[in-house]
Order: sequence, then structure tokens, then C-alpha cells
Amino acid sequence: MTQAPISPEEARQALALIETTTRQMRRALAHGGAPYFLMIWGTVWLVGFAATHVLGPESPAVGGMWLVLDAIGALASFAVGAYLGRRAPSPRGMRLGLYWLVWTVYAALILYFARPRTGDQLALLISLFAMMGYVSTGLLCRSRFLVGLGLAVTGLIVLGYVAWPAWFNLWMAVWGGGSLLTAGLYMRWAWS
Amino acid sequence: MARFDELIHQPVRLRIMAALHALDDPEARLDFRTLRDLLGVTDGNLAAHLRKLEDAGYIRVEKTFVGRKPRTYIALTHAGRAAFEAHVQALQEILRTTPGDGVE
Repeated sequence: MTQAPISPEEARQALALIETTTRQMRRALAHGGAPYFLMIWGTVWLVGFAATHVLGPESPAVGGMWLVLDAIGALASFAVGAYLGRRAPSPRGMRLGLYWLVWTVYAALILYFARPRTGDQLALLISLFAMMGYVSTGLLCRSRFLVGLGLAVTGLIVLGYVAWPAWFNLWMAVWGGGSLLTAGLYMRWAWS
Repeated sequence: MARFDELIHQPVRLRIMAALHALDDPEARLDFRTLRDLLGVTDGNLAAHLRKLEDAGYIRVEKTFVGRKPRTYIALTHAGRAAFEAHVQALQEILRTTPGDGVE
């Protein structure tokens, strides 16, 4: 049986202190960086797909532009991961970093050998691979938000590709990039 | 099982334990400077409280080098996690068993 060496008011204050500290801690570590990763890749998709729509998916400039954008996204993600990893290193964080590294290598290999016929097909496959990564990361981290977001964006990607193929890149900029960016901003705002 | 813990209940130590408990990964460690900035205490003050928690077996302090810079990381032990959770239960129980009061 618990002794009660403090008053109920003191107990209430202690519980409030614990709750405040827990919230501050999670904010300080940005929930494992999830909002930043979403904002980074949302911006990459928004800019990349909007530019692809303007330039045309078969334009020779598009491939180089995506390489540059993806490199920026990868470097920014690595920087966020390394920064948070220094503040609170964890085996799970390391495993997630390795998971995404392996995911990138396998996605690149599969896309190389699958040889999609058009730029839109390539964009579709990369986007679906990315969402598979989001959903599986959400499952691994028990994040319903990430699983829900991944499934919703997957639905939007498939819908845009099937229903409005001529507008696919613009659709991806708005609903793909826009959704990720909005979700990242929302997480940053709501979880702070 | 609920157990009020005098050692944990001190406000700075309570916040240290809450911060470490808030890490998603039970095996995660927290950088000394991050914890110090979060709590708004001095190096000496934090070190003194950490020593008490370490002596009780509630936390593990690891000193290492990142490049040439020394870094100190703090992690919750299994005993520390259990003690903190039992303490939180004890606090909730105090509120629950008080007539006209309830946990919000």
C-alpha cells in the first residue's frame, strides 16, 4: 500500500511537471525528426513535380534537376538525422537510418532493372516506393499518423496517375508534395 | 506497482527522469548538454543530481569522445524506468484516493 507523504495538490503539481517535461523533451528532439523529413521531401516533390510539369516530363533538363533535388533532400535529411542522433543516440534511430539507406539502394536497383518506359512511370514508381517507406517506418515506429499519411498519399498518387495522366506531375506537386509539406508543418505545429 | 520514491520526487530529478522516460526508444541515451538546456540548470547542479540517480542505479552515465570532443550521455536503466513508472502511479493514486479529487 502506498504511503501518502505529500498532499494531493503536490501530487498534481508533480504530475504536471512530468507532463510539461515530457512535452518539452519530445519537442526538443522534434519527434525523431519526422516533421523535418516530411517538410524536406514535401518541398523536393513540390518543386520537382511543378518544374517537371512546366518543362515537360520528357525534357532533357528534368533528369538532372531531379538528381540535384534528390541530392539536396538526401543531404538535408542526413544533416537532420546526424544532428538529432548526436543529441539522443538510439539503436532504433540507427536502425531507421540503415533501413532508409538499404531502401534507397534497393529502390535504385529495382528502378534501374525495371526500366520504366516514360518519365511519368518512373515518377509513379519512385513515389510509390517512397510511400512504402513511410508506411513501413510508421509501422516500425508505431506511428498511426505516418501510416495514415503514407496510405492517403499512395491513394492520391494512384488516383492521379490513373484518372488524370496528362496532369500527373502537377497533381503530384500539389497532392504529393503539398500533402507531405502540410503534414510536416502540421506535426511541427501540433506536436510542439 | 505504485511506490512513492523520495529520491525521484525532488523537482530537478523528477524532470531528469521524465525527460529520459520521454525518449521513444528505451535504449536511447541523452546528451548531457541537451538535458542541461532543457532543464535550465547549471552543469554542476545537473551533475550532482545525476550522481544521486546513478548511485541509486536509476540511470547510467557514459562518457565518450565524438571526434576529439568529450561527450557525456545519460540513459535510464531498467530499474530507473520501473521506479519512475511506480512513482508516477503513486502520484496518481494519491489523487485518486483523495475524496472529491480525481486524475485529470
